[in-house]
Amino acid sequence: MSAPVRSDRIERPLAVMRIALSAAVIAAAVVPLYLLAKQALTPELETFAWPPAWLPRDLTLRNFAAVFAVGELRGAIVRSLCVGAISAAGATVLGAMLAYAMARGGAAQRVGFAAVSGVRLLPMIAVAIPAGIMLASLGLYDTPGALGLAVIHCAIAIPTAALTLYAAFAAVPREIEEAAWLDGASPVRVFFAIDLPIVRGALSAAFVLCFILSWDEFGFALLLQQTNRTLPPLLYYYTVFGNVGPASALALLMMIPAVCVVIALGPAMRTAMVTGSSR
Amino acid sequence: MNERSRYLKGAFVAIPSLFMLAMLVVPALGGLGASFNHRGPSLENYSALVHDPMFWRAALDNLILPIASLALELAAGLGLALMLTARGKRSAVVEVAAILPFAIPEIVILTIARYLLMPRGYVNGALEAFGMHGAAWLSPRGSLAMLSVAVVDAWHVTPIVMLMLIAGLQTIPQELYEAARLDGAGTLATFRHVTLPMLAPAIVGATVLRGIDALRIFSTVLVLTGAEAVPVLSTYAYGQWTDAQAPRVAMAAAMVLAMVVTIFALAGTLAVRRWASQPGASQ
Repeated sequence: MSAPVRSDRIERPLAVMRIALSAAVIAAAVVPLYLLAKQALTPELETFAWPPAWLPRDLTLRNFAAVFAVGELRGAIVRSLCVGAISAAGATVLGAMLAYAMARGGAAQRVGFAAVSGVRLLPMIAVAIPAGIMLASLGLYDTPGALGLAVIHCAIAIPTAALTLYAAFAAVPREIEEAAWLDGASPVRVFFAIDLPIVRGALSAAFVLCFILSWDEFGFALLLQQTNRTLPPLLYYYTVFGNVGPASALALLMMIPAVCVVIALGPAMRTAMVTGSSR
Repeated sequence: MNERSRYLKGAFVAIPSLFMLAMLVVPALGGLGASFNHRGPSLENYSALVHDPMFWRAALDNLILPIASLALELAAGLGLALMLTARGKRSAVVEVAAILPFAIPEIVILTIARYLLMPRGYVNGALEAFGMHGAAWLSPRGSLAMLSVAVVDAWHVTPIVMLMLIAGLQTIPQELYEAARLDGAGTLATFRHVTLPMLAPAIVGATVLRGIDALRIFSTVLVLTGAEAVPVLSTYAYGQWTDAQAPRVAMAAAMVLAMVVTIFALAGTLAVRRWASQPGASQ
């Protein structure tokens, strides 16, 4: 509480509460992750012990070896990386176009915001089932390359990219653009030669956020890639239908990109994650 | 601003919008059409919904579950936001720890939650170690499953609520706190008469944004309890599509959900506007 506090009667319990809450927050973040890491690094039999073992007895890398040895798992990692990269690249390009037009005001701004917020209201299930039928008619349903899923992920990531880039384009001084126009540069040229270089930091932020959106996305992936799975649905099947060891190892590997971003890139990225948080 | 740049702007709005339209809205409209089709135009699919008790359970749970998880998120998010903005008490470790659950992919959170909450899982293990009885946290027959789902969902998304409320707290002018102090207001009075009213727009905003997501809840329920234990509209539709092989009934259920989300979002937008325009609001 930012208010200067006077009475000790309230201050002391608040201080105790604050310490207890801090401890709870750290525990809620660390203990589950520790247990997951423990499961990933111990033999599967140990995981089924009762009462559950809180400390690892035998450490092993067998679960990770299994993840990379089983073709299905290896394939899912490669597929998730490809879908993430393709969809994030597409969404960053399309989102940059939309954000630029929105940042320059007028009708474009209203249409852009309406499109971006409207699309974010669609429930996954209402889109995924008919989208599956549409992709099937295009020959893109559940293909090994998962191009259909990448296209859908690209579409759902455009609002995230556009909202991330909007502030960056809005901050580009209009005078620079106008000077370039007066010098005879075409609008397209101004966009590529002036605006894009200025917002390149935001472009990479948008790409990273869109990649993570795709990497984490479960619903569309489950419905659109029923046999050629990406990581989230595969992890779901491993978790629900057994194979604790590889599932834990896979889960641990899946966390790497997102956790790196949050720890390494700091507060700016966290704000951006809020903007783009809607699924 | 010349004529040609207007063309560029038009094209830059049109291309991404048309792409989203073609990939997301057109399929959804196709689904809407299919939901009114049963060997010709008919209300058959909706009548199948109305006569399925499971649909009504799903609709009811789709109401209770978002309310429960929103309440948990707002309470925890507010507590964390207040704690993290307290003057002179900032801790980078607590801050990163508070945000971490949101950085973890949802499916990983759910995987961990399953291992924690399963009958012979860590939570029951810890309870028994302290001499208490374990519980059937995810059992389809108990009433606990709903609570478990709400808690796990809140665990994952509380960081977003927290960040939104921190942003709201930072817009409250310090002078108000000074004035409250000069008037002799204590911590609780200051919280009630300064912080809470000034934070109301942020709370309403967070409720609307998070509510839209909470209504569409799918993976948490599916992974933790399966499609049947705590049915919600998304998992009901999923079940109709995969298990019951009734795609048109599935689409009808999905359209009901889409309508609920749209109504909530429109009402929420109006509420946000009204709140933001009230005197005393921070912006």
